[in-house]
Amino acid sequence: MSVPLSIALVFRRRALATFGMCWLLIVGIAAIGAPLLAPFDPLEFDPFVRLSDPGWPHLFGTDHFGRDSLSRAIYGARMAILIGSGSVLIALVAGGLIGMLSAYFVRLGHLLMRIVDVLMAFPALLLALVLMTLLERSVLNTVIVIGIVYATTTARIVFGMTLKLKRDVFVDAAICSGARHASVLFRHILPNLVSPMLVQASFIFAFAQLQAAALDFLGLGLPPEVPSWGNMLSEERIYVTRAPWLLIFPGALIILSVFSMNLVGDALRDNIDPRFKNDIAGV
Amino acid sequence: MTRPLLEVRELRTYFSIGRGGFMRRKSVLKAVDGISFSIHEGEVLSLVGESGCGKSTVGRTLTQLETATAGTAMFDGRDILNLTHAEFRPLRRDIQMIFQDPFASLNPRLSIEQMLAEPLFIHRLVRDRSEARERIAATLELVGMDAKSMNRYPHEFSGGQRQRIGIARVMILTPRLVIADEPVSALDVSIQAQVLNLIKQLQRDSGVSMLFISHDLGAVRHISDRVAVMYRGALVETGEKRQIFETPRHAYTRKLLDSIPRLEKRIA
Repeated sequence: MSVPLSIALVFRRRALATFGMCWLLIVGIAAIGAPLLAPFDPLEFDPFVRLSDPGWPHLFGTDHFGRDSLSRAIYGARMAILIGSGSVLIALVAGGLIGMLSAYFVRLGHLLMRIVDVLMAFPALLLALVLMTLLERSVLNTVIVIGIVYATTTARIVFGMTLKLKRDVFVDAAICSGARHASVLFRHILPNLVSPMLVQASFIFAFAQLQAAALDFLGLGLPPEVPSWGNMLSEERIYVTRAPWLLIFPGALIILSVFSMNLVGDALRDNIDPRFKNDIAGV
Repeated sequence: MTRPLLEVRELRTYFSIGRGGFMRRKSVLKAVDGISFSIHEGEVLSLVGESGCGKSTVGRTLTQLETATAGTAMFDGRDILNLTHAEFRPLRRDIQMIFQDPFASLNPRLSIEQMLAEPLFIHRLVRDRSEARERIAATLELVGMDAKSMNRYPHEFSGGQRQRIGIARVMILTPRLVIADEPVSALDVSIQAQVLNLIKQLQRDSGVSMLFISHDLGAVRHISDRVAVMYRGALVETGEKRQIFETPRHAYTRKLLDSIPRLEKRIA
C-alpha cells in the first residue's frame, strides 16, 4: 500500500470509467491548448455571420454576436477545469480541516459542526445563489462560493471518518509514543483520509460543473463576457428555436463532462472503499 | 526493600455512560474501583481477571489514555495521574505500552521505519535519520526481525511479526516500565509462545519492570513474579506467583484457576 491506489487497477475492466477518463483528458487538452486549438478569437464579434448554421468555417455555428461557438466552447473547457479544480481545492482544504478539527477536538466540533449543519440545511444551489447575490460576479467569487457549498459535505464526511480513526488503536499507540495533537492529526489520521478524499474530490469536481453552469444560466455566475459553457447556454437561450445548436453543443459538453467525472469517481470509490458502494458519499 | 518503581493507590477510573440531561439519568460505569498495587524495579506483575473486569483500563489509565477519577500513581516519586498531558509527555519515554491487537496498533500508511523513528525523534534520542536507521535496525534485530523490514509497510507482515514490530516500538525507547495489555491473546496459538518468550527474554535482558495484563493464566504463570487478581474493578488477591497458583486464598482466584484446562494430570 505504498501507493494509495494504482491507476491501472482502477480502470481495468471498467470500460465506462475509461471512456470518462478519455473525455476528461480531451477536455484537459482543450483547456491547456485553447489558444492554439481555437480557430477564432472567442471574444471577437462578427456582425456579418450572426447565428450562422454549423458548417465551415464555424463548425459549431456562431452566436447572436457572431462569435465562433467552437472557439468559445474550447475556451469554456478552461473555465470548466479552473472552476472544478478551484472548488475542489477550497472544499477539500476548508471542509477537510473543519471536519478533522471538529472530530478531534470535541468542544470545537460542537460549534463548527452546528454551523456546517445550518449551511447544509440549504439546498446546494440555493446556498450558492444567496452567497453569489452578496458578492460580485467574478471567476474567483464563483470558485469560492462553490467551494464553500461543497466544503460542508466534505466536512461532514471527514468528520465521520476522523471520529472513527481517532478511536483506532494506532492513534493510542502514537499518543503513547509521545506524539502531539498536530502530529496525530496530520501524520497519523490525515494519510488515512487521502483515498476517500480523492473520491470526494472527483464528485465535487463534477458537481461544481453543474453548479457553475446553473449559476451562469441564472446570471449570477461568471461575468457574461467570459466564455464558459454555462454562459453560452444562458446568453443564447432565447434563440433556442432559431439556432438550437447554440444550446445543444454547450449543453452536451456539460452533460458529458459531469457524467465522465462521475464515472471516474465511481470507479475510484469502488476501488478504494467498498463500504461506499451503495452510498452516494453525501453529494 | 527499596521504594517501588510504581506505586498505585486507590486508583479509580469511572466512565459516564450517556450524556445525561433532561429526564435522563447520568449513569456511571466503575471500570476500575479503588485498586492498589506496586511494581518494583525489574519485576513483572501480572494483572489477571476475566474480560470486562477493568484490567485493560488500569493500563490505559496509567498511560493517560483514560483519565483517572481518583487515586495516585507514584512513578519514580511523581504522581503521574496528576500531570497534564504536556507534563506527562516526557515521561512517556519511560512508561510504554504494548497493545493487544497488532493489526490495529500499526498505522497502515506508515512504513516501519517511519513508525519506529517517530518516538526517537519525539524524545530527541537521535540527531538525524542515519542515526535513527541504525538504532531501528538494531532494535528490529533485537525482536527477531530482519533490519531490512524497516522499508516495508505493516500489511506485508503476519500477526506475529506485527506484534514484534509493536514490541520494537516500545523497546526502542529503553523504557523503565512496560505495560503489556494482552500482548499475545490476539495471535495464533502457535505464535503466542514465541512472542511470549521474546517478551520474557527482553524483560530479563533489559531488567525493565512490567505490568502484564492477561486473562491467559498459562502465560501469566510463565512470565510473572507476582500476580494480582482483579474482579469487577477491584483486586481480590495479590501475591507471589507460587502462592497464587498453589495456595489461592480468595474464592474467585480458585474459580479462575479451576477454569484452566488441565492436561498434565491425565498424562501423569
